[in-house]
Amino acid sequence: MYVSKEECRELSDAEAVEKALLQVDYFACLYNKYEVLLIRYIRRIALVSSEEAEDILQDAFIKIWSNLNEFDQHLKFSSWIYRIVHNETLSVWRKKKSYGKDRQVQLDDNLFEIGAEDSDADGTMREQKHLLAHDVLEQLPIKYKTVLVLKFLEGMHYDEISDVLKIPEGTVATRINRAKKAFEKIAADQQPGFFEKE
Amino acid sequence: MDKSKEIIDKIKRDHIQPRPRWHFLLKDTLIWLACGIGIFIGAAAFSVILFAIQQTDFELTTHLSHSRFELVLGLLPFIWIIALIVFLLIAIFSLQKSRSGYKFSWLRLVGFSALLSILLGTLFFIGGGAQWLESTFAANVSVYEGIQEKKQKMWMSPEAGLLSGMVEEANPGQFVLVDFEQKKWTVAYDSSTFIAPVVVLEAGEQVKMVGKQTDNSHFTAEEIRPWGGRANRQKMQDRRGKN
Repeated sequence: MYVSKEECRELSDAEAVEKALLQVDYFACLYNKYEVLLIRYIRRIALVSSEEAEDILQDAFIKIWSNLNEFDQHLKFSSWIYRIVHNETLSVWRKKKSYGKDRQVQLDDNLFEIGAEDSDADGTMREQKHLLAHDVLEQLPIKYKTVLVLKFLEGMHYDEISDVLKIPEGTVATRINRAKKAFEKIAADQQPGFFEKE
Repeated sequence: MDKSKEIIDKIKRDHIQPRPRWHFLLKDTLIWLACGIGIFIGAAAFSVILFAIQQTDFELTTHLSHSRFELVLGLLPFIWIIALIVFLLIAIFSLQKSRSGYKFSWLRLVGFSALLSILLGTLFFIGGGAQWLESTFAANVSVYEGIQEKKQKMWMSPEAGLLSGMVEEANPGQFVLVDFEQKKWTVAYDSSTFIAPVVVLEAGEQVKMVGKQTDNSHFTAEEIRPWGGRANRQKMQDRRGKN
């Protein structure tokens, strides 16, 4: 059975989950809706190639399917799948960290795009900022990198980050503060004045 | 090839089924059950600790070189402290593992579990459950040394000036006491002896005394107090009031 994109668009996440439990083909609606967002998230966290990110996402979606009955309607579906994808990504990242430290991955220019406030900056400056942001993020401990990516690159609210990482909102706030300080310190050491507010 | 189609094909090909809903319901139920058991047994342990505190003779701090804390610990079987800690930890970890447990900080989880155990434990203690539980344990678990047993041991040291038992026969200035090892003592007292107001020196009264052993079967009392704690004293007063 083929579910058309139009039919998928009309379904909310909760409705798509309900329909998928009755007819597996509706599960494609959920995959198609979140594919781009999640692949970008996986690549931001684990620094893997597009192909590897797709593999991670595929494994994560099989887990999402297996646990679909566990989905709590009180939670946002996006937070729940981000949680599963996040865990899957971290597990791959840890393995990569142990076995392939020297591997280099070609990054997309827009993978670490900062905020809209930089849209008027010239192209070279933007690119330099992206590269520096990427460098700095890579030097941060994974727990700091994760909260910064979720907050500033994925644009999530504290409650959503709390649901993804399964930590209290207060801890999210503290972690973001510490991560920002650590980010600023590394950035300042690397290129003084580069990220200073105008 | 469309990635979503690949996933759907894989699910169909490998016959991957979503784990049934009852599986997750069972998991949630077990987590909450563990939490409930943790809080309930923690509460029972706390109530016995309260009972031990109630049974402690803090007046002894003036006679023995022990602090109040040491006196309570001397009387309290450690199993209850261990039980309180272990079951409180079970409750805390179960709460944390519940669906929304991660939303609360460890401090809140500890506070909530401890508060609930303290509240239930106090109610259990007030209802007399702690004494019942403790005596049931003492009667049925051979290796367990109960609070009353420990208390009797503490008060069966005439050479250290501590003696207890039941009054068998009372006369002015002295009475015959049968201690908890069924040994008879002649106890002397005078106007300088402190006798707790609730104590009536008559046959059948259980007392504990601080004083001096004068020989193998004679004891001079300096203080005479009722054997039981506050609750027992109240019961005795009520009994006398009715008579």
